[in-house]
Amino acid sequence: MDTEANPRLFRLPFKLPNSATARRWGVYFAGVLYALGFWLFLDAVIYSKHANASDVHVTFIDWIPFLCSTFGTIIVSSIEKSRLLQGILSSEGGGLGYLGGDMDSSMAWQARSVLFLGFALLAGGLSGSIVVLIIKFLVKDYTSYPTVGMGVNNVLGNVCILFSCVVLWIAQNMEDEYSYSLTL
Amino acid sequence: MLEFKVSPLTKIISLSGFLAMGFLLVTLSCALFHNYYPLYDVLIFLLAPIPNALFSKRNSSSATFMSDSGMNSSNDFASFLTGMLVTSGIALPLVFRHSQLITSESCVMSMLGGMIIYGSIVTFSWFFNSSWDNEEDDLFS
Repeated sequence: MDTEANPRLFRLPFKLPNSATARRWGVYFAGVLYALGFWLFLDAVIYSKHANASDVHVTFIDWIPFLCSTFGTIIVSSIEKSRLLQGILSSEGGGLGYLGGDMDSSMAWQARSVLFLGFALLAGGLSGSIVVLIIKFLVKDYTSYPTVGMGVNNVLGNVCILFSCVVLWIAQNMEDEYSYSLTL
Repeated sequence: MLEFKVSPLTKIISLSGFLAMGFLLVTLSCALFHNYYPLYDVLIFLLAPIPNALFSKRNSSSATFMSDSGMNSSNDFASFLTGMLVTSGIALPLVFRHSQLITSESCVMSMLGGMIIYGSIVTFSWFFNSSWDNEEDDLFS
């Protein structure tokens, strides 16, 4: 045991999972959630094409929230996380901030605005799907289940994509924190 | 310690048997109902092990201790794709069932068959990645 390096009296009674494996499973889970959202939406589309008894059909309007969520996921997960960290350090003015100077803060500003765009796209996708559900189905009194299911599936799919993005973000930040503390 | 040794030939034969059983199940689920939509499931489950195989090979060749950040991100992309493809392979027959394109027996059969195909491919790569080291030991001792 490595208790001699640790002067604390208590320790965690269970072992936390290894950071790398936890990250790996988190990323797997994010992929599972994304596919779940994708297929929930695609279920509505295929159902509307092949087994629809009502006169409401999925059109391009229903695709827009899904596309927004997907673009938001791509933007949020492909942004470089270290830029944000750099920005935080330099904007606080202490620590390593004076090393970077002006370029760091402008880079961090760019990263933050792009990140904001990504999260706005994600939230817009979710709220857009709810709007489609209300305007296209609930207002026109299509409230019986197999018909309203197309709108509900759209909302659930967008929720799943949002959660996939959140899980991916958490998993990747966990690893970043680990390697960051390793380099310090 | 109980030594339970299986020769590599037995492994290959039993795994190919499992693989053939998976293909048989999926093909039967198509052919019994004269409806060839479930064949897409085979395609997805065959694509599913590819990203991990590609990226893990590149990763192990340059195995430095977490120095490269690009390595981590490409690895992440591979596992994201793997999770996505496996889930789509399971979800595809359910979606077809819900839109009444296939019957529920064919849905169950194609799901089981696809999972057997994917499992046997994964087990194959797992067996023979781990047994290469052991076989070298066997050769030189």
